[in-house]
Amino acid sequence: MIEQERFFNDLVRQYSEQLYWHVRGIVGSHEDADDLMQEIFIKAWNALPRFRGDSDPFTWLWRIATNESISFLRKARVRAALSFSRIDAEAERVSDPNPFFDGDKAMRALRKAIATLPDKQRLVFTMRYYEELSYEQISEITGTSVGALKTSYHIAYEKVKDFLSTSD
Amino acid sequence: MKKNMPYSTPDGYFDELKDRLTVVPELKSRINLTPYLALAASFMLAMLAGNYILMKTTASQPASDDEIVEYLIDSGMTLAQLEDEVYNY
Repeated sequence: MIEQERFFNDLVRQYSEQLYWHVRGIVGSHEDADDLMQEIFIKAWNALPRFRGDSDPFTWLWRIATNESISFLRKARVRAALSFSRIDAEAERVSDPNPFFDGDKAMRALRKAIATLPDKQRLVFTMRYYEELSYEQISEITGTSVGALKTSYHIAYEKVKDFLSTSD
Repeated sequence: MKKNMPYSTPDGYFDELKDRLTVVPELKSRINLTPYLALAASFMLAMLAGNYILMKTTASQPASDDEIVEYLIDSGMTLAQLEDEVYNY
């Protein structure tokens, strides 16, 4: 148990900041990302006994975080649908002026564009564009083939480009 | 993070986050009674539901006329015997 706790604390020290930005890139809001970080590391702690030491902790942790973030987005969309909110209201939510948004107008537009993507495309785009993960890494995290990821990224990229050009 | 996202965080956030997250093992190692309580509650509910169903299905209800007629026919009673029973009751 002490070994496990030490390993867990090493994960927190080494990866928590980078993981936060991964989650933030998917969900947009600081408050949501902060809540998710707690959930993710609780899940990681519970899953530690099953973690094989030969697996890459980065990939393992990112997989948990990605699944939690996507699950969060799905629930948010269902709640929005039940309250008759527009789907693009979420785009407003993640990119509206708030204390923790630093970007200029162009960055805000880019975040809005990304927020309109379907969850999986948003995920791939965020990991590729912002985090600059390789397709192989993304494939290990998401369980999707490299080929499918490349297609997904290309489609997402084109959609973002279209959105930005029509919103000018 | 490689490319900058247009986001910031509160001052000192990541230090505070690390402190908060390193407490997780301590919180999760406390005995969690919830699953056992849930199991006991499920068992009680199943017992109550089963008892209720049993009471409802074995409760006596008056037989309809059709049921009485069918019973009498099935019993093999002759008309004479039936009249005997009815008029001498």
